Amino acid sequence: MNEFHLTEDQQDCLQELINIAMGQASDQLARYLDTFVYLKVPSIESVEAKDLMKTLSQQKNTMAVVSQGFFGYEGIRGESLLVYQEEDSGRIADLLGYEPDELSQDEQLIDISSILTTTFLNVFAQQIDNRLSYNAPKLLPNVQEILSEHLQQMPFTWELALKVNINYQVTDYSFNCNMILLIPETAITNIKHVLDRILEEY
Amino acid sequence: MSPSVLICDDSNMARKQVLRSLPEEWKDSVQIACNGAEALTILRDNSIEILFLDLTMPGIDGIGVLQGIQKLKLNCSVFVISADIQPEMQNKVKALGAKEFMRKPVQADALLNNLQLHGLL
Repeated sequence: MNEFHLTEDQQDCLQELINIAMGQASDQLARYLDTFVYLKVPSIESVEAKDLMKTLSQQKNTMAVVSQGFFGYEGIRGESLLVYQEEDSGRIADLLGYEPDELSQDEQLIDISSILTTTFLNVFAQQIDNRLSYNAPKLLPNVQEILSEHLQQMPFTWELALKVNINYQVTDYSFNCNMILLIPETAITNIKHVLDRILEEY
Repeated sequence: MSPSVLICDDSNMARKQVLRSLPEEWKDSVQIACNGAEALTILRDNSIEILFLDLTMPGIDGIGVLQGIQKLKLNCSVFVISADIQPEMQNKVKALGAKEFMRKPVQADALLNNLQLHGLL
């Protein structure tokens, strides 16, 4: 049994907190793109460190990964990874509609990732009575060795990751991106306590 | 007399949030649906006066339920409670006949105010 094993009620509570965070992140994305974002129920699962490394290294149609660290009170900290498929990052650039030399595709991807990550995490943190600060987002080059090196060089030990599978459909376009939250054990224990506290209110 | 109420949301916690916001004397006449299909069945077979409806649900979503209500020509006051707060979505549900849109997590005073606004309280 892993640290993130949740009871049915805890799972339902976490899913609802994530839905609310996701809804606001999508609203920000929609405003940024000046369009409507079609929202689906995001699926969540927890992944062990070694399995995550394996999954990420097996995704051969190389992707872009934008990584951003976050930290709050009471041991809440982690790293958010937004994982894009290669074919999708081009579509996102189309959507953004910048003049080609105004902002590079990389910069656009970093922008959009940071909007999604910080809005999502701010709303999530608010609901669990926490407040987060962020490091600057970083786009990792499409090289597997660099990705695994990056994952191994986190400033904290993470045994588990919370994987939130998000699918965005933006008008005629659709793109998938996975938000992967790498969370150390202390933060996981803290989140579970907060979930229990919320559940006690009902 | 307390009105017949249906709460439709795939999240147990979200359903409880609505339930605990309602006037105490209503609580015995509240029915629950965990998805859009269940809601439509209950709406068809019972005369429901007030529906609290989530939007993002697997299968038939909130939009599907609103369309079903129009098709069945049901006379039911619908209050949408959703995490999808995009202005376009709020306009869409109102165009489909919803009385009000409330963002999640729903607050008791907002919910009661809206019921009052529509003469249901």
